[in-house]
Amino acid sequence: MGLICAGSVKRYLGLCKMNAKNTEPIIETKDLTIRFGGHVAVDHVNFQMQLFTLKSIIGPNGAGKTTFFNMLTGQYKPTEGQVFLKGQDITNLSPADRTRLGMGRSFQLTNIFPMLSVLENVRVAIQSREGFGLNFWKSYLHFSDAEDEAYELLQEVLLDEKWSATSAELTHGEKRKLEIAILLALKPEILFLDEPTAGMGQEEVPAILEILQRIKEARDRTLLLVEHKMDMIMSLSDTIMVLQEGRIIADGEPDEIYRSEAVQEAYLGGGTTRE
Amino acid sequence: MAEQTPVQIFRRQERQKQYRSGTFFLKLAVLLLFILVPFLFPSFKSLDLALKIMIFAVLVASFDILLGYTGILSFGHVMFFGIGAYSVALLIGKYGNPTYINLVIGFIVALGITSALALIVSFLSLRVKAIFFAMVTLAIAEFAIILATKLSGFTGGEDGIIMSMPGIFKVSFNMGKFLGVEITGRLITYYFILVVCLGLFLLMIRFINSPLGRVMQAIRDNEPRAEAIGYKTFIVKSISICFGCLVSTILGGLYAMWVGYANPESVLGIPIMLDVLLMEIVGGMGTLYGGLAGAAFLEFAHSFLPDLQNFAKSLFPGAHFLHAAMERWLLIFGILFIMVVFFFPKGIIGSVQDFMARRKTAPSI
Repeated sequence: MGLICAGSVKRYLGLCKMNAKNTEPIIETKDLTIRFGGHVAVDHVNFQMQLFTLKSIIGPNGAGKTTFFNMLTGQYKPTEGQVFLKGQDITNLSPADRTRLGMGRSFQLTNIFPMLSVLENVRVAIQSREGFGLNFWKSYLHFSDAEDEAYELLQEVLLDEKWSATSAELTHGEKRKLEIAILLALKPEILFLDEPTAGMGQEEVPAILEILQRIKEARDRTLLLVEHKMDMIMSLSDTIMVLQEGRIIADGEPDEIYRSEAVQEAYLGGGTTRE
Repeated sequence: MAEQTPVQIFRRQERQKQYRSGTFFLKLAVLLLFILVPFLFPSFKSLDLALKIMIFAVLVASFDILLGYTGILSFGHVMFFGIGAYSVALLIGKYGNPTYINLVIGFIVALGITSALALIVSFLSLRVKAIFFAMVTLAIAEFAIILATKLSGFTGGEDGIIMSMPGIFKVSFNMGKFLGVEITGRLITYYFILVVCLGLFLLMIRFINSPLGRVMQAIRDNEPRAEAIGYKTFIVKSISICFGCLVSTILGGLYAMWVGYANPESVLGIPIMLDVLLMEIVGGMGTLYGGLAGAAFLEFAHSFLPDLQNFAKSLFPGAHFLHAAMERWLLIFGILFIMVVFFFPKGIIGSVQDFMARRKTAPSI
């Protein structure tokens, strides 16, 4: 089914604006596994996430966090197991179809459209959400609402002054902000953020933290975060899942994780001090 | 009234100066020059040169939609030009009489074949990426040349097909004089092609300035990201390939109308594809107008560099080394090409745009 459109995907999954209850997991995996040759990168992970919460995934390098992320968002196909969105199996859907269903993701490495202007980067995402991305008979200037909304989003991530710059010219921190603006433009129900502060200088981190805090406080989106900065994770997250060698070793509220001996042993190296 | 955002202010200013800017008048002047060529330089050579610049400018622009705007390198682009030329030639030169109806059918058949073939090429882009896709398209283009050469009973082989035009496009047609210039079938064909080329060029400008045009550029910049934000990149790339190829097909038909024949060397050959690539590089990728600069550069070089030999002989009769150098005009062309690429790495138009952007206080997007 190559030409699956947004509407038909939603009908296919019966997800048109369904009112999910907070108690039902919005996203769930069952025995999710991926093998690369003989190496098991993610091993039978059973994961659940509630609506409008912020969950973080932590773990040492090579624990399988990004691989797990990639399976949730469709970049990798699992060797075994299933991914469910609001109870519906989405394991075989493409990344584009999952995006249309309300899953938006940012990448560990900065992932923008470098030759487009900052405003265009966001506008292209709005086009996708609004479904006029394939319109070729009208000028893009005809869609001034999209442009206004793109500018508002840039204001939200404190990037409005750079709206006309070519995005390749932005600093690393600004590019990460732009990525978040692109993501917000999709109005996703679930935001998947893969190390949003990776490679940033210390002075740039608070701005991202503030943006994430604001998104969380609005309580109208679900956030899944992979991050290494422990203080950031402890302060932001509602729940934390810890992966080691592709397996879940702990899953709970920040204080539980903080006190967990297994986590301290495996991830924090036995110490209890926060970074 | 709510306060306007900087974007809204910028757009308003852009609209206000849209028909007052220097670039607008420059474009108008170029169009006027093409319109007045028959009156300003009333020789067949000038008319032929202007027409080839026109056709190749639009052909390169259609190639730019693929390479410059979507990031697809296809060596099969000229094959579609050949399909247009051969369809028209077959319909009015071999299997039908030179009538308007046959001419139109020729174009329709060509567009039909191109649509099907362009879709197949698009599907290939799913299977093979980047340079491998380019190699596959090169193989298809080479296969088309072999078919056109070997199926001589159908295509006329290496000699190709000669045709005469219907009605007012016929070379012998004459309507008398206007402002001292004979209004012949050739001149009418020239203006007909000018109008169609202008229409196609405007269509391409609309295409790249549409929301889809921006998505194409997003795919060129970062295809996985474009997919991650919800685009079926295969569909966008297919539309881009099909659109570019359809434009190329129409141009092939128009070219056949002008030269009056179609053979593998003139409408399908790899050297033409290389010329298109050179024009694209010289003019500037992702600029659309670069096609015009590139086509003008190459066509002028092809037309006038061979004449340099006579020019050098008349100016410096004793300078034998110079004569020998001028005989090898392709060498001079090569040096010229290297210099353009060296001094204008973004192509002529790309470099001019860069220069203008640096001068502007508010950068354009």
